Amino acid sequence: MHLPDGFLSPQTYLPAYGLAAGLWWLAARRLRRTLDAERLPWLAAVTALAFVLMMLALPLPGGSSVHATGVALLAVNFGVWTAFLAISLVLALQALLFGVGGVTALAVNALALGLLGSAAAWLAWRAVQPVHEVLALILAGWVSMVVPAAIIALVLGIQPAIAHDAAGRPLFFPFGLAVTLPAVLIPHALLGLGEGLLTWLGTLTLKRLRLRHAV
Amino acid sequence: MSTPLLLLLCLCATSALAHELHHEVSQAQAVVIRLTYGDDTPFAFEAYEIYPEGGKLPAQVGRTDAQGRVAFLPPQAGRWRVKTWSEDGHGLEFTLETGVGTTPAAEDRPLYERHGRIVAGVALILGLFGVLNLYLKRKKS
Repeated sequence: MHLPDGFLSPQTYLPAYGLAAGLWWLAARRLRRTLDAERLPWLAAVTALAFVLMMLALPLPGGSSVHATGVALLAVNFGVWTAFLAISLVLALQALLFGVGGVTALAVNALALGLLGSAAAWLAWRAVQPVHEVLALILAGWVSMVVPAAIIALVLGIQPAIAHDAAGRPLFFPFGLAVTLPAVLIPHALLGLGEGLLTWLGTLTLKRLRLRHAV
Repeated sequence: MSTPLLLLLCLCATSALAHELHHEVSQAQAVVIRLTYGDDTPFAFEAYEIYPEGGKLPAQVGRTDAQGRVAFLPPQAGRWRVKTWSEDGHGLEFTLETGVGTTPAAEDRPLYERHGRIVAGVALILGLFGVLNLYLKRKKS
């Protein structure tokens, strides 16, 4: 789900950088107030796990590949703003040092995965948690995959309309919404089930480890 | 038959010949680019475009083969920008340089190979959080 360089027009990534910069600043201020030394090692471990998950691609039938993200695991256990910063850090490291995901697309990737994915996961978890804890965690993982996929598909699909030459030829990503929405959403809707299981098992493990550590 | 009519018929025959297609088979040295996903699955049958550096018109467009390969015969030595993408948003843009009698070198490559990259990334993240931990302790004291 990492958009690479060359897919997005400046009309897309420049405003996205402006928006993301403001939100990163807000999130950093919030983290400074709320973060304590007890939670920090756990946050570091889950952020590192999210990095590893995003680097491990799983092959899909048809030749494509997907990867888990750990977004919901971060959002449920550490809150939306902290998850946004942690995922942004992971995406920045991947883009700047390892060539995974584009530098120009970093803000769009961070907003889609880190902010909106986390917010969707947290909201789904909070809404369903009173009814069923396990279902809430699985749903959080699923929406953390599907919501960013929908946003990425939308952003990709509008590129031919907003950036084309005089003859109407797309200058960046060439496919419209009719292609991008099913092509991006369908595999991620399936992968979301795996992300849901990961969120459930990850949260369970994290709770047990934290309890053991506290004792 | 009158002379003008005969001339017209001759002209039509030339025009018809111009629509003929010929083919020629030869062997040449090509630059072969192989595109794969992170797990080494070929980026098969996906679209690509190759542009000369600074150029807006592509020198070659097409689709990768079943092994995710592109065979490119550069018309001249120089730097080339390769763009490739799939409908689901996967893709890559990179440059390569071709010279006369030299092996082409792909640029913009990641710093480390895959497993090394993962270990380095985890170490970097833990290191950054370690620094943050020191900051928190200092703030507390």
